[in-house]
Amino acid sequence: MEGIAAQSWQAFVVCISAVFTQNVLLSYFLGMCSFLAVSRQVKAAMGLGAAVTFVMVSTCLLNWIIYYHVLVPMGLEYFRLIIFIIVIAAFVQFVEMVIERYSPVLYQTLGIFLPLITVNCAILGAGLFMLIRQYSFIVTIGYSLGSGLGWWLAILAMAGIRQKLAVSRIPAGLQGPGIALLIAGMMALGFIGFTGVLAG
Amino acid sequence: MWGIVISVAAVSGMGAALALLLVIAERYIANYGECEITINESTDDRKVTVQGGQPLLGALVGQKMFIPSACGGRGTCGLCKLKVKEGAGPVLPTEEPLLSTDERDSGVRLSCQVKVRNDLKIEIPSELFSIREYKATCARIRDLTHDMKEFRFELVDPAKIDYVPGQYIQLLTPVYKDNEETYRAYSISSDPADRSAIELVIRYVPDGICTTWCFKYLKEGDEVRFNGPYGEFRLAKNVVPSVFIAGGSGIAPMKCLLHQMKNEHSGKEVTFYFGANTTKDLALVDEMDRFTKDLSSFKFVPVVARPEPDSGWKGDTGLVTEALARDLKDASGMEAYLCGSPGMIEASIKVLKSKGMPQEKIYYDKFA
Amino acid sequence: MENKTDDNRPSRREQRLREEQLLKRPPDVQKLEETMRSSRLVMGGFLGPDKRALYDIIEEDVSTLGRLGYLAEEVASRMRQLTHLGAQGLGTSVTVEGRFEVTIEEHKGLNVCPWPHGGGVRKRITTVRRLDSGKVLRWTDLGVHMIQHHGFFEGRGSLYRLEPRELVENIF
Repeated sequence: MEGIAAQSWQAFVVCISAVFTQNVLLSYFLGMCSFLAVSRQVKAAMGLGAAVTFVMVSTCLLNWIIYYHVLVPMGLEYFRLIIFIIVIAAFVQFVEMVIERYSPVLYQTLGIFLPLITVNCAILGAGLFMLIRQYSFIVTIGYSLGSGLGWWLAILAMAGIRQKLAVSRIPAGLQGPGIALLIAGMMALGFIGFTGVLAG
Repeated sequence: MWGIVISVAAVSGMGAALALLLVIAERYIANYGECEITINESTDDRKVTVQGGQPLLGALVGQKMFIPSACGGRGTCGLCKLKVKEGAGPVLPTEEPLLSTDERDSGVRLSCQVKVRNDLKIEIPSELFSIREYKATCARIRDLTHDMKEFRFELVDPAKIDYVPGQYIQLLTPVYKDNEETYRAYSISSDPADRSAIELVIRYVPDGICTTWCFKYLKEGDEVRFNGPYGEFRLAKNVVPSVFIAGGSGIAPMKCLLHQMKNEHSGKEVTFYFGANTTKDLALVDEMDRFTKDLSSFKFVPVVARPEPDSGWKGDTGLVTEALARDLKDASGMEAYLCGSPGMIEASIKVLKSKGMPQEKIYYDKFA
Repeated sequence: MENKTDDNRPSRREQRLREEQLLKRPPDVQKLEETMRSSRLVMGGFLGPDKRALYDIIEEDVSTLGRLGYLAEEVASRMRQLTHLGAQGLGTSVTVEGRFEVTIEEHKGLNVCPWPHGGGVRKRITTVRRLDSGKVLRWTDLGVHMIQHHGFFEGRGSLYRLEPRELVENIF
């Protein structure tokens, strides 16, 4: 086990890479469904991005603890998929309740986006990646934060572009998801330009 | 074998543990218990206890207090505004577009958006306390013009209604196709001395939820429900000479006021200007002629804008405001009662003021 | 070319098409469409028998307008102007610009826009008849609001549907 300082540096590097070079949405195409559906307006995208980031960080950490301190000691690693999904669903429910009680303004602003997060595959994906890459707890903090922020950045950029697109003429067959996927592809290409920024 | 049992038990156990956590969380976080609402602390000081967690509007309606609403709690009509002195929490984004800064400063909120989470202190106009829900039978439907009908509802429960002539009720439109239940406001037009029934004058609106029901589905003998009475439009207690101005179904409250005058043997001098587009749009002319005979100083002046060439119309033509301007000389010692569209009311007020009528003597029951 | 069914019940194929369409849309648009198809706000809803998705309808109408060289705001503004001129009749017919006969009908209460932005619109129906051709167009204040702010002309077959082409050719 490396020292805290070394882990923190690794966490920072992983975070940056998760935002730019290994963007969970543009490089791994996870979380596409809510991304395509909700990216029509910047305000909506802000709300969803914030919510996804919060849930991603919290559930990744929760799942890390459950995996390494419950599943592994009991030899039940192969149940991680089911358990992670259950934990995410329960956590989103819990967060909804708390927000509704203590900040009704925030609850109304997020609206339908909160329960929508449960079905965001990027969250489960990030959870599984942290296991595959065997990140430590501290590094997981960095990774999940980076993934969330990367997803947020992507949906914000997409919403900005689509809001401008709303007043353009698009061929009938490409309207809606068609043009959105084309744009996502172009954004992904753009993000490839970041490869090599972090050497090593 | 044991492996399967243990693993299944473990996963079920974890699932159950999470579910249990959520149930506990819900009991403590999402459960608001019972809350007390204090209404009009300084005057009536009514207290009601309601289950927390529901919108304030629903809680009050559940306590038989009829707060007006047109959009079914979606936060779009703004009719359910009332003052919350304590306990409402911060203003929600759904309320903001409908509240002016003055309203926000004085604590006015949309009761359909405010959730009851703790004890509240609110203020509502005390006339809302005398509002009741009535069940009645549709006794008679009468055609007045090509798009206006008169409906007579005889009360079943409660059997009698008390109202001030000029007030209106909210008629419940039931589910008859794929609509939702809604309420629509109509002024009472019948004789107030007859407390066992009310009559309404309803004009058909194409694709209107209520008027489609009234004109195409409601039959004599059907049960109807309404609540009320509402409104501050009424005859001032004096013998000052007055003008009545109305158009379309606005004749309804005027008829009610005239009944009141007849019952009280009022010597009030009234000239009623009724505006219509064509002679086919003139309604209740016979009743008005009867009032002319029964009342000592009542004059009915129908004003038709575009009389059909073959109708032989000999009365006033043009707009109601034009007839008003022609006839009135000095209105400084007179009153006016108006009922009609905002456009007609605004135009009439301009004419009345130009003839010297003070603003406080102009009474109207504006739509919208 | 509709599938023949009894009354207004959609055929199985139509139902499946509708469900498929609903799955591809975010929940707020689904809710909006559901409100529009129901008779909660106006009898018969805003979409009529039109089976297309809401935003498909809007995008097609706005494109048609664009091809004719107009923005939705311009059309709405002209409609408002005609309504305003007709309002001077106080409910009676008025000759406007020597070319139109405009009649305004106003009713008690407020119309509510299906979009969730709050506020109500006066219940006012404007009927415009061209004196040369006799062509009659009819709209409501709510309809004008929906054209101006949402590019929405209502579904094909709906009671107050206005064809963009017809509108543009007749009111300017």
